[in-house]
Amino acid sequence: MHISEGILSPGVLIVGAGLTAAGVAVGLRKLETEEIPSIGILSAAFFVASLVHVPVGPASVHLILNGLLGLILGWKAFPAILVGLALQALLFQFGGITTLGVNTLNIALPAVICYYLFKWGIRTGTRRLVFNLTAFACGCCAVFLGSVMVGFSLYLTGEAFLPAAKLIVAAHVPVMVIEGILTAACALFLRRVKPELLEGAYVPKLLSQPQGGEG
Amino acid sequence: MCQNCYPSHRVVRGRPRFVCLLFAALWLVFSNVPALAHKVTIFAWVEGDTVHTQSKFSGGKKVKGAPVLVFDPEGNQLLEGKTDEKGEFSFKVQGKKTDLKVVLKASMGHMAEWKIPAEEITAVADVSRSSTAEVGVKAATEEAARLSTDVKASRELSVPTAVSLGRQELQDLIDESLDRKLAPIVNMLTDSLDRGPRVTEVIGGIGYIFGLVGMALYFANRRKKE
Repeated sequence: MHISEGILSPGVLIVGAGLTAAGVAVGLRKLETEEIPSIGILSAAFFVASLVHVPVGPASVHLILNGLLGLILGWKAFPAILVGLALQALLFQFGGITTLGVNTLNIALPAVICYYLFKWGIRTGTRRLVFNLTAFACGCCAVFLGSVMVGFSLYLTGEAFLPAAKLIVAAHVPVMVIEGILTAACALFLRRVKPELLEGAYVPKLLSQPQGGEG
Repeated sequence: MCQNCYPSHRVVRGRPRFVCLLFAALWLVFSNVPALAHKVTIFAWVEGDTVHTQSKFSGGKKVKGAPVLVFDPEGNQLLEGKTDEKGEFSFKVQGKKTDLKVVLKASMGHMAEWKIPAEEITAVADVSRSSTAEVGVKAATEEAARLSTDVKASRELSVPTAVSLGRQELQDLIDESLDRKLAPIVNMLTDSLDRGPRVTEVIGGIGYIFGLVGMALYFANRRKKE
């Protein structure tokens, strides 16, 4: 999921960095003081998740957790993922500093998309089965979209899209399943223990500041 | 995650604890998997007139069947090959004494490179040239010895060449045994190159994140007070 330095063309890198900057700005604008600790903890979880490896075929892939981050944080997944990726690049040499923008976009944009796609199902009111399935789908879908976006980034730099994307998606199938289960387990856990964290992402916003106009 | 939820007084029923255990189990299972990082490395070294390369995902998993490209300093591609089952690929240096850049392109946007400075290759080129020269000289001296055993002048000539032959042979022997002796060190170097993230780095990263959270809270609170 981390694209190394020197692979992508400068154009792709610049566009990626620009879009990431925009996403981070949106995330920070929606940020409220009470949410800072949960963003930090999820950022730390994301940072560590990349060390949990799933060996598949010729490559090795790792957990990403962007579905979970998107589900809980929405747009604020952008700053959380940016921080996590920056530290991974600095400390683990995963990805790279120049590709930070593109990598953040590839991981955080699917998180936000999944947030909008699946947030309807993640409420304390929904039935258990629906709740679980939505959370599972959210985890799967975020990884799937992320893989497609990595394929697309490579395509923009001249690699054939379909083979590259197929390979990446295929390699991430086990990760999708594991992330789906993890996301569902986490969401279920939070629903029982700290439901305000799940709803905190959007319910107070809809109630307290209707001018926010998200979704 | 679990620490986050721990202070909540609602953690009473058995289910959440079970979920926590599940996470712990998952973590243990996956942290034992040897492949630990998401990065590729390539390491190249010169042996005789051949350049050997070894490619790994860090954590030790071999990169199989991935293209390896060799470039000169101007960026012209000299040759291309694929890593074998052991993640290795070797090629012969063809005559030129330039720096070489070996680039590994693993799938899914992973790339690594290794530079071979010209000096290493120059040494190799010298050795191969002198060894061919030596063969020529050897043949010549043998012939000379066979044809004119009684000609003292040629004998006198062949004595200094014999000395220089000894030097060449010595050089070759030294090179050979050095290659053999250095092989473990080369292997050690490749291993140390692709070490996975260490615990200190992981904890350091988490510390950074918490520090950032602290800073963000500090500024948020200050703004609130004002």
